[in-house]
Amino acid sequence: MQALVLKAAATLLTLLSAAASAAYVSAHVKNTTAPLHPPVFTAQVHAANVEAVTSTYAS
Amino acid sequence: MPHRHFEALGTTCSLFVAGAPAERLERGEAWVRALQVRLTRFEPDSELSRLNAAAGSWAPISAELEDLLREALRAWELSGGLVNVAVLSAMHAIGYTRSLREGPTAAAALAMPLAPLPEVLEVAPGRARLAPGTGLDLGGLAKGWMADRLAERLGENALANLGGDLAARGGGPEGEGWPVAFGGRTVLLRDQAAATSSTRRRAWDLGGERVHHLIDPRTGAPARGDLGEVSVVARSAVEAEVLAKAALLLGADEAPAYLAGKALAWWLA
Repeated sequence: MQALVLKAAATLLTLLSAAASAAYVSAHVKNTTAPLHPPVFTAQVHAANVEAVTSTYAS
Repeated sequence: MPHRHFEALGTTCSLFVAGAPAERLERGEAWVRALQVRLTRFEPDSELSRLNAAAGSWAPISAELEDLLREALRAWELSGGLVNVAVLSAMHAIGYTRSLREGPTAAAALAMPLAPLPEVLEVAPGRARLAPGTGLDLGGLAKGWMADRLAERLGENALANLGGDLAARGGGPEGEGWPVAFGGRTVLLRDQAAATSSTRRRAWDLGGERVHHLIDPRTGAPARGDLGEVSVVARSAVEAEVLAKAALLLGADEAPAYLAGKALAWWLA
């Protein structure tokens, strides 16, 4: 009887882990356009909190 | 602030001047359109197409094309061979034979690694020669080169943005630099330039496979690296264009070391 309870608990734990993992990856879908790194600035380039007039982009 | 937006070079161009008459913008647009006609590979009678058609023989070239071809040779050196404008056959192989507004054509050949540019292109005063069977596509390099020269033509305080390859001169509208969106931030560029290279644009399906216009000279096929887009700030637009493209081809592991010491800022995505 004790062995059966242990098996049932292990199975339940496994199923819960699988369900939690599935929920996590579904909520954190990979964003293929996300930056791998933040932008890197040398001392010669300054960021500012102003509105840009234009941007660099791929065309 | 005077500005002007127009379609040219297969993309959108934006010109800005601060403290200068707007007439300069009109002249700037006319300059872009005139050069576009000469440097396109899609028109058989353009200066570039005539040079390509004369491969194997010396062909006369204008001062502008001579300057651009010498810049292409410098780009090949700066990129360690990763930026190679002798890419015409590879473009044709993936069906990029005409403007993508007209759509790609069928695949024409298997990919082959590109020959080193100095073995393909010779430039002398007023003339140039391509190796037989080769051809050039000046593409993004021409946009960067033109942005640098156009910013100078526009005046001491101006910005020229040709499809994302941009050059900024002077302090901009407020004197602190031209505010430009870069990597999710705004940076102030003064006598600096920026460019972006990407495999996400100018892409299409070819025989069930997704291909794009960025050719890796090591394979002659569209790049398959782990980066989708790279933006760079550098001292000139043509340099930014070369660094961005080379970094994209190198991939996320090697790009930071390559860009350090060459670029003023970069963003990998």
